[in-house]
Amino acid sequence: MTGRLLSIFLILAAGAAAYLLFPYNLAFLTRILIMIVLVLSLDLILGLAGIATLGQAAMYGAGAYAAGLFAIHVWADPVAGLLAGAVAGALLAAVSGAVLMRTQGLTLIMLTIAVAQICAEIANRARGVTGGADGLRGIRPGKVLGLWEFDFIGITGYWYAFAVMLLVFLALAIIARSPFGLSLRGIHESPERMVAIGVSVYRRRLAAYTMGGAIAGIAGALSAQITQLVSLESFSFTLSAEALIMLILGGTGRLYGAILGTVIFMAVHHVAAANDPFNWLFVIGALVLVVVFFLPRGLVALPVSLKRLAKGGRHAGT
Amino acid sequence: MTNKPGMIALAAVSALAVSSAWADEIKVGVIAPFSGPFAQYGVQYQQAIETYQAQHGTAAGDHEITFIYKDVGGVNPDQSRALAQELLIRERVDYLAGFTFTPNALAVGPVITQSETPTVIFNAATSAINAESPFFLRTSYTLPQVSAPAAEWAYDQGIRSVVTTVSDYGPGIDAEVSFKAAFEAKGGTVTDSVRMPLSTTDFTPILQRVKDQAPDAVFAFLPGGPPTFSFTKTYNENGLRDDGITFLGTAETEESNLQALGDLAVGLHTAYHYSAAHDSDENRAFLDALAELHPDGIVNWASVGAYDGVHLIYEMVAAAGTDGPAAVEAALGLAWESPRGPIEMDPETRTVIQNVYIREVARNPETGLLENVETGIIATVGDLGWNQ
Repeated sequence: MTGRLLSIFLILAAGAAAYLLFPYNLAFLTRILIMIVLVLSLDLILGLAGIATLGQAAMYGAGAYAAGLFAIHVWADPVAGLLAGAVAGALLAAVSGAVLMRTQGLTLIMLTIAVAQICAEIANRARGVTGGADGLRGIRPGKVLGLWEFDFIGITGYWYAFAVMLLVFLALAIIARSPFGLSLRGIHESPERMVAIGVSVYRRRLAAYTMGGAIAGIAGALSAQITQLVSLESFSFTLSAEALIMLILGGTGRLYGAILGTVIFMAVHHVAAANDPFNWLFVIGALVLVVVFFLPRGLVALPVSLKRLAKGGRHAGT
Repeated sequence: MTNKPGMIALAAVSALAVSSAWADEIKVGVIAPFSGPFAQYGVQYQQAIETYQAQHGTAAGDHEITFIYKDVGGVNPDQSRALAQELLIRERVDYLAGFTFTPNALAVGPVITQSETPTVIFNAATSAINAESPFFLRTSYTLPQVSAPAAEWAYDQGIRSVVTTVSDYGPGIDAEVSFKAAFEAKGGTVTDSVRMPLSTTDFTPILQRVKDQAPDAVFAFLPGGPPTFSFTKTYNENGLRDDGITFLGTAETEESNLQALGDLAVGLHTAYHYSAAHDSDENRAFLDALAELHPDGIVNWASVGAYDGVHLIYEMVAAAGTDGPAAVEAALGLAWESPRGPIEMDPETRTVIQNVYIREVARNPETGLLENVETGIIATVGDLGWNQ
């Protein structure tokens, strides 16, 4: 319990420090927070349950469009919008997952990509509803909890996204230690043994995928409310792939890894792109290569690896 | 004025900022793709801006103008909005510019309305953008602006039936809709409308379908690059040209891609607002100045959109300095001689009123290169899609 309190305190301190240190970059910090929520959802699915996916953007996009349309046509309340996004993400994950979770490996990866592509094409065709390639316009979220209006500088947006991120983090921390989370880990390690001890692997995987879908939907809803526009790119393969890279960078299976990887990837991206708008992709590429070669378990494993290196261990990363 | 608390907060942050900038420096933030597959747009914007500054200096009135470039990658409204906020709050820019894709421009609409920042669109061509904020000004063009005159010209040439073939995405559909409306209003008939998948490069079945219907002309809208190349090649090889089916397009015959098409392209008709081959002193001066700075630079509509955009910003700064609403006011109705011909900022739509030329691809006898030879002005129009 003290460990959990300590982690909450650490994250709160980091959030406040970022707010005080970079008061002019709140919009960018908010994008990092939204991305963390998406990467956390991927960590639940891939890191914990071992479901390989390259289509997490499908649920993110569904959440974004659902929250956008909800704000325009039903109710502008941001928290209700988040719920709408979560429901849309969960629904899409449950429906697609019912088929997808019967497959494994490459087939599964291909199918997850296909689901995201199909969603993008549907959003493109349904111009009257989604605005097609121009994007969904006119999202004007109301005050958060009826108290704080979204301001120009992004103070409300930052703390709103931060609160959502923290809640998602805590929920996942609880899930990861619950019997359900442990059974997911078991499925990740060895599905055959889990079947042997009487666990319905398919149902657990579907449940995990649906939960991950709901969280990705929340991330999408946040982005729709902050940007006040949803584009077809929220279903893009690039988004799914970047989220995966961030997770691998930080380290899969540990929630801190998702946060660390996202912060480092986006910060490096931001600084490199600001200094050299033409060639920053090289820096990102080099960073990912270095981490994959020397720290296969991600940046969260860095202290352990350094300790081993100091002791003269030969395979620092493994 | 529209958002008092927002402005007060902004002022508070501005007061906090430790700034080394001197009072008379006015900053312009340019949001454009500088990396990835669309990096060419950013490169061309930057080259055009540097060319304008080389020709006209870096001062407008009493103000020194500097440009800050931000990479948005591709279609990425989240990033576009975050960059706009960062430019406004941290860099304290007074003007924004750039914007290649429609969603990226739409995403900054609420931001620039709140901060009252004049924003000049260099490229994004969907009519609806300017309705999103009164601070949007556009020096490029809109799709209805070039497609509708193409339809009217075709009818005047005696063409009565057309099949439209467009790439299946936003701009393609806009082009199809406005072409069809203008052509049918004149009395012609669009016998078939084909929407082609954006990623396809095999147009044989589509053009065979067109050929079987034997219309007088085929109207095409495709994004530049390989699809255009393949489309025009198939148009020739499948005998549509021999059957007398006229090719009508807009930006398909852009000069940098045109050379690869070779003689197959000769005789293709397009309606568009700018070609680097435009015959005028302003255009020659622009091309010479740009070639001096960037000998390998490519010049097309994106370059001229940025070049005129910078001119507009200079005029606004000279007239109103950092006062956003006054700057927009000063820009409305402003007329000047651009490398593309005479243009005027339409006070209603805030998109430039300009000549649309009908061009025919021909080989330049001097350079031996293919170019779009303007055979006439077919219309001088503003944004025809504003009221649609």
